[in-house]
Amino acid sequence: MSNALYPFAVFFAAIFTSNILLTNYLGMCSFLSVSKELETSAGLGIAVTFVMAVTTALNWIVYELVLIPFNLEYLRFIVFIIVIAAFVQLIEMIIERYSEGLYFALGIFLPLITVNCAILGASLFMVIREYTFMTSFFFGLGSGLGWLLAIMAMAGIRQRLRTAKIPYGLEGAGIALIIAGFMAMAFMGFNGMISIS
Amino acid sequence: MKQTPEFDHIQQQMQPGVITLEGFLGSDKRNLIDIIVEDEGTVRRHDQTNQAIAERMQYFRDAGFDGLGEFITLDENFDVRVDSVRGKLPSPFGGPGMYEKVNTTVLNKKINKEITFTDLHIHFIKDHGFYQGKGSSYRLEPTDLIEILQVAPTEV
Amino acid sequence: MLSSLFVSVSVITLISLFLALLMVIADATVGNYGMARITINNDKVLDVEAGRPLLSTLKSEEIFIPSACGGRGSCGLCKVKVVEGGGNYLPTELPLLEKEDIDNLIRISCQLKVKNDMSIEIPEELFSVRQFETKVESIRDLTHDIKEVRLKLIDPPSIEMKAGQFIQFEVPEYELTDEAVYRAYSMASAPSETDVVELQIRLVPNGICTTYVHEHLKEGQDVSINGPYGDFFLRDTDRDIICIAGGSGMAPIKSILLDMAEKGSKRKARYFFGARSARDLFLVDEMKELEQKMEDFKFIPALSEPQPEDNWTGETGLITDVVHRLVESAPDAEAYLCGSPGMIDACIKVLSDLGVPQEHIYYDKFA
Repeated sequence: MSNALYPFAVFFAAIFTSNILLTNYLGMCSFLSVSKELETSAGLGIAVTFVMAVTTALNWIVYELVLIPFNLEYLRFIVFIIVIAAFVQLIEMIIERYSEGLYFALGIFLPLITVNCAILGASLFMVIREYTFMTSFFFGLGSGLGWLLAIMAMAGIRQRLRTAKIPYGLEGAGIALIIAGFMAMAFMGFNGMISIS
Repeated sequence: MKQTPEFDHIQQQMQPGVITLEGFLGSDKRNLIDIIVEDEGTVRRHDQTNQAIAERMQYFRDAGFDGLGEFITLDENFDVRVDSVRGKLPSPFGGPGMYEKVNTTVLNKKINKEITFTDLHIHFIKDHGFYQGKGSSYRLEPTDLIEILQVAPTEV
Repeated sequence: MLSSLFVSVSVITLISLFLALLMVIADATVGNYGMARITINNDKVLDVEAGRPLLSTLKSEEIFIPSACGGRGSCGLCKVKVVEGGGNYLPTELPLLEKEDIDNLIRISCQLKVKNDMSIEIPEELFSVRQFETKVESIRDLTHDIKEVRLKLIDPPSIEMKAGQFIQFEVPEYELTDEAVYRAYSMASAPSETDVVELQIRLVPNGICTTYVHEHLKEGQDVSINGPYGDFFLRDTDRDIICIAGGSGMAPIKSILLDMAEKGSKRKARYFFGARSARDLFLVDEMKELEQKMEDFKFIPALSEPQPEDNWTGETGLITDVVHRLVESAPDAEAYLCGSPGMIDACIKVLSDLGVPQEHIYYDKFA
C-alpha cells in the first residue's frame, strides 16, 4: 500500500476491523451507561470522536517534541492523561461560553469523557504502532467514529429491547455486555476487508 | 453500573431534605439507574409497561377526586380516597411542571389490600419508570401496584 | 541516575505547569464574564458580576423575583421581560413559556445566565419585596395539626402588605436536610400590624418546612422570610364577597376580614369554612367577634363528618354542597378561595353554577 493511502487505510480499519470498543474492548463504562437512547448516544459519540481526534494529534506532538528528545517515553501514560484532562476542561469552558446549543447537546458529556479509557487507548496505540502525525490524526478520528458507530448500534438494539422480557438479574449491564459480545463477533465479519498490523 | 452526570445530579435531588423530608431513595445505596433498571425488568416480566401502570393509577386518582377527601366506591371492588394539601413540588428529574400534593388511597375489597400513592409517584412511574428506592416508606413495589390496582396485562 | 530522575520530574512539572497556566488564563478570560450592567425599567441601573442566572443575580441585589422551585426550572414563576441582551432561548425555558410570552420577550430568569449588558422590565410591586429578619414571638396550637406562628419583624422592622398576600419562609438546614429551602405561607395578620407577620402552618407528612415548624421551631428563634408576594388580595369594588377556605387556608381570609373590619367596609361577606369534625375548627370566637364588628358578615362552618361527641348543630356535609344550599344565585359576587387543588376546582364549579363570573373568582395560584 502506498504511503499516501496509509492514513485512510488506518482510518477505515479503526472504524470496522479493529474497532476500539468491539475489538479492543476499551471505553465500555460510558458505553454501557449512556447507550439506552439513540439521541444521547449520538451526542456522546460525537463528543468522544472530537476529543479523540484532537488529543491523539496533540499527544503525538507532545510525544515527538518533548518526551522523545528527553528520553522520557515511559512517562507517556501520565503526560497523555494530563493533556487529555486539560483539553477537555478547556473545551468545556469554551463551549459553555460561546455556544449554548452545543453545550446542552454535548457539554454535559464532557466530564464523562475524561475518564473514557478509549481516549487514552488511542494515544497509546499510536505510540506502539509508531504512526506518523497524519496517520495518528486519522486513527484518532477513525477510532472515535468506530466508537460512535458501536454506541449507536447498541442504543438502537437496546431501544428495541425495551419491550422484551429479560431474565432476572441480567437487566441493565448484564444484557448490554452480552449484546456487546454479539456485536463484537459480528464485526469480526469485517476482517477480510482491510488488515492492518 | 456507572451513570451519567445528569443522573448523578438527579440522585442528589432525591436525597432527604432537598424536595421532601425523607427523600425518594430510602436506605437504598444503589445508583439511581440500577434501581430503575431492576424495576423495569420486574415490570416487563409481569407483561406490563410502566405506562399502563401509571395510567391505571391516574384513573383511580381522577375518579376519586370528587370525593374531596372521603372514600368513594368505584367499579364495585374498589374504595378510593383522594385528599390533597396546598402547595406543589418540583420533580427531582427536573424539567417543567410542578406536582400537586395529592394522595390517592385505593382499597381493593376483593383481596383486602390497600395502597397509597401521590401525584409525584404517577409522574415518576409514567415518565421515568421510577418506583422509589427500597427502604423508602413511600416505595411502591411494582408487583403490589399491579395486584392491588388490577392493572390489565398489556399487549406490546 | 539522579540526573534522569531530575529531568523526568522537571519535564512533568513543566508540562503540568504549562497546562495549569493555560487553565488559569482560560478561566480568567473565557470563563470569566466580568461585569455586566442590568438596566431595569429604563430607570434603575445595576452593575453586577456576570456569569450567574438572572434570578440569583437579582436576588443578591435585593430584588426578589418569585420562585417556587428554587431555580430548578420547574415552576415557571420567575418570568422576567428581557428587552435586550438575553441571547437565545435555552431548551430548558421553552416548555414553560407560551407563544405570547415569547412574543413579549419573557424569559425564565432562573435558567437565563447574565453574560452581557441587559435591559429588563419588572412590575413595580416586586420592588417592595424585601428580605426580613424576624424572631418567633409565639407559637400556639390552633388544632391537632395546625400551629399559629407569630413572627416579630426585626430588620427591617415593618412590612407593607395587602391583606391576602403571602411570604416565603426560609427553612434552614436541620436534621436530615443539607441546604436551606423556601416555602410559601399566606399571612393571617392584618396589614395594619406592620411589625408582625402571623402564619397558620399545617403539619404535612414528609414536609420539610411543616416538620421543621411543628417539631423544631422554638419561641425566640430567628427566622428569615421574604415578601410580600401574590395577587390574591381583596379587590376594591362593591361586590358581595364569598370566601371559601378550610384548615390553614383561613390565613389569607382572616387577614382580609380583619382589614375590612378596620376600614369599616360595608360590603356583604360570607365565609364558608369546611372541616371534617369539630376538632378541626379553630378561631371560632374570633370569627364571632368579627360578625359583631362588621356590618354584614357571617361565619358559616360546615362539618363533613361530625362525631357524635361533637354535638354539632351547625351545617353538615361537603363544603361545596353547603355553599350550593345556602347561596341562591350570586352574579354580583366576588369569590375568594383558599385550599387544596381538589377543593378549589370543586368550588369553582359550584360558584359558576351560581352565576359568579369566572373573572371574579380569585385563588392563590402558588398552592
